[in-house]
Amino acid sequence: MKLEEAKILISDDSILSRKQLKDAILHLGTPTFIETSNGQDAIDSYKREKPDLVFLDIVMPVKDGNAAIREIREFDPKAEIIIVSSVGTQAQLKAAIEAGAKDFIQKPMNTNQIASIISSRFEGR
Amino acid sequence: MYAQFFGNFLLSHEVITKEQLLTAMEQKAAHRPNLGTLAIHAGYMSAGEVEHIHILQTHQDLKFGELAVQTGILTEAQVNELLSMQAPDYLALGEALVSSGIIDNYELERLIVEYASENEIYDLDSSEDSREKVEQLFKHYLHTSEKESVNEFELLYNTLLFNNLVRFIGDDFTPILGSKCLEYPKSFCVSQEIRGKFHIKLYIDMPETTCIAFASRYTGDDFEEFDEYVAASLEDFVNLHNGLFCVNVSNDYNIELELLPPMIETSPLFEFKNEAFLMPVIYPFGTINFIFELDCNEE
Repeated sequence: MKLEEAKILISDDSILSRKQLKDAILHLGTPTFIETSNGQDAIDSYKREKPDLVFLDIVMPVKDGNAAIREIREFDPKAEIIIVSSVGTQAQLKAAIEAGAKDFIQKPMNTNQIASIISSRFEGR
Repeated sequence: MYAQFFGNFLLSHEVITKEQLLTAMEQKAAHRPNLGTLAIHAGYMSAGEVEHIHILQTHQDLKFGELAVQTGILTEAQVNELLSMQAPDYLALGEALVSSGIIDNYELERLIVEYASENEIYDLDSSEDSREKVEQLFKHYLHTSEKESVNEFELLYNTLLFNNLVRFIGDDFTPILGSKCLEYPKSFCVSQEIRGKFHIKLYIDMPETTCIAFASRYTGDDFEEFDEYVAASLEDFVNLHNGLFCVNVSNDYNIELELLPPMIETSPLFEFKNEAFLMPVIYPFGTINFIFELDCNEE
């Protein structure tokens, strides 16, 4: 799939983190972005929009990232979910992998890591 | 101090699969010798004494070493000696991978060097000067503050905070002596709480004009007015610092802490229920007030 045709859901309670992630992806192409700021909205948006890739924070109000992964994967077992978090502890990493996350990015974000995640899934411009 | 957990480093470098990581994490927990075993091995304690401490631990939320000293079975020097025999948790993870044949010792050696050079927070800033500055500042801070003693987590927490200021904002700051704080009138304030074995709430407070300069340095963007991105920069910095602290505690002590989402404080005046310390940090662009509210009652 071409990145230009892709839908990417970004769920993070920090508007700054969402912007930084979008900026990193916009260097590679212009997909459609869907943004939410808590885990419950991420689940609802996923069901409505069926995005091709999801970036999720863990520590979020209302419903945290790990709970959101489980619900999204129940709805769509093939969901491609990447965790982006400052709390990459052993327990969080284990919980994220067990819930079905494909990758775990430790904040502060490394743009090369974002680029490799995007280019392994989508064709650039 | 590390910028990420060793297991995540191995995963992101595609050294191991997710399944291998999960298995190794279980194995290392099962194989890591605990302090009691090491004490028996060293001839410092009998099996009965170890058993006695384990029973005490079910009633008191204290570490094995602390109870052994309290009951007079071990000296502090002996506990420290035993602790130094216990490899850091990330090395235990490495050992588990070697013993299950996923990597060999040569590969482990190479990975540890690579992990340290990529992830050591001191090295990210790389200059020896900055490192010395952080150490000096911290010694000065401890010396002059009203706080009588600091435990190892408080020490790690503060050293990491100074490192993160150097790393993300700049090393041109001066911390002012810490003082006890009973109440505090806020300007723009963000707080975040860590719960678990180490319970702390960190507040970061500064006037809006200082926020603009702080956010500009933190993000590398030039902000001209106070907006939601500026506010989010403060939340992001606090969240990053606390997140990295949790990673380090998990990596080095195998203790998992819970981090709550950062919050913008709305009350104009805080009255602290628990012991709180104010530490102003002066930058050329303004003064940042950090407040550490400690709650030593372990949950």
